[in-house]
Amino acid sequence: MEAMALRVGVAGIGWSGFSRTTEGTSYKELMFEAARSAYADAGVDPRSDIDSFVCCSEDIEEGTSIFDEYVPDQLGAVQRPVQTVASDGLFGVATAVMLIRSGVASAVAVESHSKASDVVSLGRVDRFAMDPVLNRPLGVSPTALAGLEMRRWLHVTGRSESECADVAARNRAHAATNRRASYADVHDPTPLFDPLTREQTAEPADGCVVLVLTTEERTPEGSVFIDGVGWSQDAPSVESRDWDRAAAAERAARAAYDRAGVEPGDVELAEVDDTFAYKQLQHLEALGLSDLAEDRVNPSGGALGEGHLREANGLARALACIEGLRSGDARVGLAQSWRGVPSTSAAVAVMRR
Amino acid sequence: MSPTKIPGELSVSFRYTPGVGNTAFFEGLRDRAVFLGSRCEDCGVTSVPARIFCERCLAELEPSLECGPEGELVSWTLVRVDVDDQPLERPVTYGLVRLDGADTVLLHRLLHTGGEPAIGERVRAVFTSPREGSMLDVEGFAPVADGAGP
Repeated sequence: MEAMALRVGVAGIGWSGFSRTTEGTSYKELMFEAARSAYADAGVDPRSDIDSFVCCSEDIEEGTSIFDEYVPDQLGAVQRPVQTVASDGLFGVATAVMLIRSGVASAVAVESHSKASDVVSLGRVDRFAMDPVLNRPLGVSPTALAGLEMRRWLHVTGRSESECADVAARNRAHAATNRRASYADVHDPTPLFDPLTREQTAEPADGCVVLVLTTEERTPEGSVFIDGVGWSQDAPSVESRDWDRAAAAERAARAAYDRAGVEPGDVELAEVDDTFAYKQLQHLEALGLSDLAEDRVNPSGGALGEGHLREANGLARALACIEGLRSGDARVGLAQSWRGVPSTSAAVAVMRR
Repeated sequence: MSPTKIPGELSVSFRYTPGVGNTAFFEGLRDRAVFLGSRCEDCGVTSVPARIFCERCLAELEPSLECGPEGELVSWTLVRVDVDDQPLERPVTYGLVRLDGADTVLLHRLLHTGGEPAIGERVRAVFTSPREGSMLDVEGFAPVADGAGP
């Protein structure tokens, strides 16, 4: 591989929660706990060693307008450069990579969390994401889009419903040994949005992930490096998007692979979005990783095993990938996120150790 | 009230502007029971509902092309739970329909689905009466084999 001008390393990782509820603990306290772990792991003092803070959240999920005002204090970011990316956490990683590679910062903390248990009407938050003029008047849950896409995908690819059921069973089996997994024991084939079933749908969870990313000079020896990031959207509208494939994930992956100087065949470990079981298979196709051994895909159990962490899903996948690389389990890993229904946003990070 | 749970509610209202393209589309539904689209000649793509710009090349478009009212079923799902994850008393079938002449799809209910729908099946729009100029001017799409007419 050709040496990069500026590599971005993962100096620290931290997490909190990862359970169905975090009764009694506020989102601020979840963030504090995860951040403190990440700073300790990186050996940094956030008040002096972190140059910029990137949080990923969506106001309406938090129940607070202008939510970016509510994030600095629990991260050690008061009176420091802080920004919120209103998207999945991997988009925050991409932002941090740009901050570091452009020379704006040499150490960036990236945070995202889910306090889904605080949201009494979670399905209504998702429905509010539907186009208010064309789609929302129908009153249908946006998860119907997943049912529609799954059936279309099965039709176009010739894959089977049982393959999707196998993904759900396999991820939950993987999750059995993951201390962050709280949905390893779900076996519920109840159809929700035919052909989509309950057990093939990730259930909500609370949790927070913080990563400390640094320049190569500030990254401890032997760390994991984020050598390529990519992100993309398809047409967001239900009417004009590509219903036959995960177009956004394809484009995000191509950009991340190119920037990292990596080909799909080099990837030894993949943590990919499995909000719905069929999405894992569809995303693997988009990433060029359909031939990757089953035990190298979502060995954490993915979101089906850990739970759906809203905007923190991508960081949860990145966290599991980084841990796998740190353990020596692989040399090249990939984390991928999708922002869930009704979106077509996808991001990819290619990592090396 | 438990001191560990403080209730909150978001109570805000909106009046969304459909825009020039969607308004032309809704007027077509309301006044003539037709689906109005826009064609980008450069991209060779016809979008329904109508729009004043092409999302692929950003060319300006006119809401001028009628599509449908028949089309092809692109996918379908049987919705068994509501937005709060509660079982529906009567599940509802939704489909994606590519109207004849269009390259995009419409999301709407499928009607008269006594048998299981099939991807590729021919369907036809069923309009409500009277119509007020919204997506709800379409009751849904029914199989052409049912003989459903406008």
